[in-house]
Amino acid sequence: MGGDHGPEEVVKAAARLSLDRDDLRTILVGPADGLTGLLADLPYDPAALSVVHTDQWVRPDTPSREQLVEQPDASILLATRLVAEGRADAAVTAGSTGAAILASAEQLGRVPGVRRACLAAVIPTERRHGPRGDPFALLLDVGATLDATARDLVTFAAMGSAYAAAVSGNPNPRVALLSNGAEPHKGPPAVVEAHRILSGLDILEFAGNVEGLDIPKGTVDVVVTSGFLGNVVLKMLEGLGEVVADLTADVRARKYLQGLGLLLLSSGVERVRKLLDWESYGGAPILGFTRPVIKAHGRSRDRAIANACKVAAKAARSDMVRTVERAMACLPAEEPSP
Amino acid sequence: MAQDSAPPWRHVYRWDLDKTYLDTHFEELKSLVRIPFERAEDKVNVPGSACLLRELSSDRADESPSRVTIISGSPRQMRGVLEDKLRLDGVSWHEFHLKPQLRNLRRGRFRALREQVGYKLPLLLRSRYELGLAVGETLFGDDAEDDAFVYSLYADILAGEVDESMLRSVLDAAGSDASAVEQCLKWRDKVVQSEACSPERGVGSIFIHLDQRSPPAVFEAFGPRLVPVFNYFQAALVLFARGHLDATSVMNVTRAFLEADRKPADQLANLFQDVMRRGYLPASAMQELGMAVQERADRASEAEVVWKCVERAGDLGASRLFRDPTELQDLDYLAVLDRLRTRSGRVQGDDPNSRQ
Repeated sequence: MGGDHGPEEVVKAAARLSLDRDDLRTILVGPADGLTGLLADLPYDPAALSVVHTDQWVRPDTPSREQLVEQPDASILLATRLVAEGRADAAVTAGSTGAAILASAEQLGRVPGVRRACLAAVIPTERRHGPRGDPFALLLDVGATLDATARDLVTFAAMGSAYAAAVSGNPNPRVALLSNGAEPHKGPPAVVEAHRILSGLDILEFAGNVEGLDIPKGTVDVVVTSGFLGNVVLKMLEGLGEVVADLTADVRARKYLQGLGLLLLSSGVERVRKLLDWESYGGAPILGFTRPVIKAHGRSRDRAIANACKVAAKAARSDMVRTVERAMACLPAEEPSP
Repeated sequence: MAQDSAPPWRHVYRWDLDKTYLDTHFEELKSLVRIPFERAEDKVNVPGSACLLRELSSDRADESPSRVTIISGSPRQMRGVLEDKLRLDGVSWHEFHLKPQLRNLRRGRFRALREQVGYKLPLLLRSRYELGLAVGETLFGDDAEDDAFVYSLYADILAGEVDESMLRSVLDAAGSDASAVEQCLKWRDKVVQSEACSPERGVGSIFIHLDQRSPPAVFEAFGPRLVPVFNYFQAALVLFARGHLDATSVMNVTRAFLEADRKPADQLANLFQDVMRRGYLPASAMQELGMAVQERADRASEAEVVWKCVERAGDLGASRLFRDPTELQDLDYLAVLDRLRTRSGRVQGDDPNSRQ
């Protein structure tokens, strides 16, 4: 039910998927009458869709925790409950990230060894990754855990590596910490400490620290950071993509000669625009729970939500969670605080 | 197979053929060219159509038989192969009308080749008049042509809701040629002055098979009497709720979908929930069906579908819309026609053959 554009875009995405993908079934969780009314205006395949009714959902203006307590049938709680009961293989939401994390923690539980969940986003990169040559790397956390400890960062690294291996088919993804320099001592204490721990682990391919400029270059396959910094980086890249699109449209509309020049460069501009088009990458998996949960951008339109559902299906089919569980089982126990 | 006797009928079921009963594709030239050369055994049914029609027309103890009428826009030259197809399907019928396309062509009535309102409406009215009875009817059509419009207009004429001047305006707006307009008016007059005209015992339900996957809201203006269905499993459920089929018949249709159409139980349950959400199934119908299935140990596969349907009904909680099919609404046919024409891109005047 969430998302800046309300249920209309979610319903459009489900209708679109029902016709385009024979292999997916969608359960819409929300007010049945409203969802049915929205569906009735669209072409769709009813065999691929069903509705679980609730008239409760989390609103963005009040803290999620209180709302989830007051509304036991909030749509995000019901959606994650359906996953927990095995009626669905994954949950997808464009609503509040906080509510999604709280509901997932309550209904699904965390993978053993995971203290805090993280949100992983795919970032378009210049260099290609893995055996399929994917044009994107994984950045995590992008907003689930604002202030991450060294242990959290190590956990994120293990989960990111496992996700890249399971979903992108990359057997040895290169993992790095985001910092303000490549040297091991650069960065805030949590990053320096995480670097020390990760350097001693042989369960993942740790590549040390990378800087911001390495993210779009795609120097590594997985970039690990705190939720606060990751979110800032993610939004900046999205903004950049939109600015490129706006500038292109503006030049085309106003300056004939520049427009002509742009025409000559059009294939390159289109490539940049496609690379920075966050809607085509779908949603971000929330890692750390015992079932796949995908968070679509709050501003998502139907195409982005449909792509998020495809990511969810891929995560479920690749048995991503079991891979994360195995990775977490291999992590050494937390060192006692001095 | 065709029968001429006129016993008192318990109900009349009128079916279109192409895209309603038969899975016909005439959008592509290749498919269109192939149609006249197809043998009866090459013709493919819309999933569940043959089974549903057999169940509807089957005899019931202590009840009069039902009457099956087929009115198709296919050319008369195809009668032999189409009749053979119906026989192969084990379907019997009492009237079978096909379009005189060759005659239309010879007489230069090019508009009539495509026109549906001016072809089907007089046939429906004449058939009703010749029946001479006030008997309930259920009509089956599709979303490829004007079936929803023609059937609703016919239903309202039987209910005495359409006077001569309104019918003339509607037919003019629909682009019917002069002879078709005269035929419609003639048979309307005869029907409304006969016992066949009855507000209570006329058309109870119109099923429109969404062959083109039209959004159901396209048909909202026609009211709850018209039920847009994505397949005949949905139609069977609604017909059960409206007393036309018993639980065994619904299970037979369900089996046809499970076996011939290979639809898994989960997908059938979703189709059930869809038609329930849209307000065409009361909750009580599912309870009745559930109880009937419970007593049938030989129907395990069908029972699984029913139980999944019960689960889907539970998913809707207390939020269950039900639209009473007897609650009729006034239809502004000119506005509806305008909307349908605009949607299909067939705005009046676009067709050079629209007027003769």
